[in-house]
Amino acid sequence: MKNIIEINGLNKSFGEIKAVSDLSFCVKEGELFAFLGENGAGKSTTINIICGSLKKDGGTVTIDGLNLDTSLEEIKGKLGIVFQGSVLDKSLTVYDNLESRAALYGICGAEFKNLLAELSELLEFSDLLKRTVGKLSGGQRRRIDIARALLNNPKILILDEPTTGLDPQTRRLLWSVVDKLRREKNMTVFLTTHYMEEAAEADYVVILDGGKISAKGSPLELKNTYSGDFITIYNTDEKAVKSLSENYERVHDGFRIAVADTAEATSLICKNPELFLDYEITKGKMDDVFLAVTGKKIGGDDK
Amino acid sequence: MSAVKMLLKRNIKLFFKDKAMFFTSLITPVILLVLYATFLSDVYTDAFHASLAGAIEVSESLISGCVGGQLISSILAVSCVTVAFCSNMLMVQDKATGAAKDFKTSPVKPSALAVSYYFATLASTLIICFVATGICLLYIASVGWYMSALDVILLFIDVILLVLFGTALSSIINFFLSTQGQISAVGTIVSSAYGFICGAYMPISQFGTGLQRVISFLPGTYGTSIIRNCTMRGVFEEMKNVGFPSEVVEKIRDSVDCNLYFFGNKVGLPVMYLILGGTVALLIGIYIAMNVVRGKKA
Repeated sequence: MKNIIEINGLNKSFGEIKAVSDLSFCVKEGELFAFLGENGAGKSTTINIICGSLKKDGGTVTIDGLNLDTSLEEIKGKLGIVFQGSVLDKSLTVYDNLESRAALYGICGAEFKNLLAELSELLEFSDLLKRTVGKLSGGQRRRIDIARALLNNPKILILDEPTTGLDPQTRRLLWSVVDKLRREKNMTVFLTTHYMEEAAEADYVVILDGGKISAKGSPLELKNTYSGDFITIYNTDEKAVKSLSENYERVHDGFRIAVADTAEATSLICKNPELFLDYEITKGKMDDVFLAVTGKKIGGDDK
Repeated sequence: MSAVKMLLKRNIKLFFKDKAMFFTSLITPVILLVLYATFLSDVYTDAFHASLAGAIEVSESLISGCVGGQLISSILAVSCVTVAFCSNMLMVQDKATGAAKDFKTSPVKPSALAVSYYFATLASTLIICFVATGICLLYIASVGWYMSALDVILLFIDVILLVLFGTALSSIINFFLSTQGQISAVGTIVSSAYGFICGAYMPISQFGTGLQRVISFLPGTYGTSIIRNCTMRGVFEEMKNVGFPSEVVEKIRDSVDCNLYFFGNKVGLPVMYLILGGTVALLIGIYIAMNVVRGKKA
């Protein structure tokens, strides 16, 4: 797979504050890429630079083989962006909003109507076309935001915390649409999220802290590197668990023992087979990774 | 081209969907007309009578036509600019709502965005100012009509020219604003100050020489005079017909700013049109250049 986004030595400061410092990473074509970080970590700054709405201080940004400095207009045509908050006109109808935004890409007339039919079927909003955007529910509005981002059939879909505050049904619809687009159109998805479960589904994750990369890799690599394994034992008593002399915590219906890795877990089980009659081994969660990497718990609104 | 057309449609729709924005813009000239007719009409009429001091017999209709012509020229001169400022809020609102960010991330050219804001404001301001012109003409018809058909056509052309000026000026100033509070503040300042510096609320001839010279550099002054020449031309012709000496008519023209002087030299009507037209072209050029530069800087 070729790199569709290549960022090298990216720098951006606002006065004395370094928003992004010497940032370098790549995103492969067709992958789901997750950007994790607290508010102010530099996620939105990076996205704004990629979109061309913010000028960088230094470094190079290459999108689909095009240099941001020389081919910005062409790059803009390859991006679709779902902003954190809706940026559509609240007093206009869904149809009027999408019609005016499609014209920004030179899409109008019959071409627009065909595209609208396709998107309204994909995102299930055919019945909302004549409704005023300001009167839609949060979930309905989010679907229209996504439709707006897909108007130009982008090669890269940027989702800036797209599911925050959404109901489970809309979340499911959003992710099923994203999966379909990736499967059928090999669309690259660049995601920033506060939800660790969403980041855990990504192909590659970059954790930002204070404008710098703290860790990067696939969720599995990150879990293996920054978080140990856990053995959860069921149907046993605390005295027996205590006899193992390992760190443990009480969980529902059992006890969870933290171990360094799967090898240590296997060794522990082999040494105490009488104790491990009903158990499971699990990897650490992305929350554990984030905590280990940054020393912070992300947000307060985890799913 | 389709982007400009569609953005224009969007901007105009948003203006008329926003009832507060629409009615605020529409009500400005109406309020001015009511205030003028209620409080200033009698003052102007009395002043006119006093200046003649019974030397010449003048009909009430002619005096009312003269005062009315002065009033409506003032109202229209102020409205064309202040309504443009009210109508041109969308540019700022788009920054506040994030729509501007959305446009910025699309391949649409900054100049196309600038043109769409300009022409949408122009269209909505023209609609409102044409309505205001109609109301003003009805007022004149009720107090004393001395305008010819050509005067009426010229009046509408003058309104278009002044709206072009107001829209360009508001586009440049609003370009730097990003919040609703800022635009309200600018709107208030323009509404209260513009009428004075363009000679609408008080004739420039009544100001001190120094101030007159400063104001003669402002193109809005010539806009007011252009409209006033149009609304009062018939009145002055009638004055000559009923026996007013030419010198007296010229004095009256001086006193109501139909004649303007730049450092003592009388500025002819064609030159006034040139000044205002040239200013409009210059302001539009500056506005587009500002958008292009910002687009490159972003």
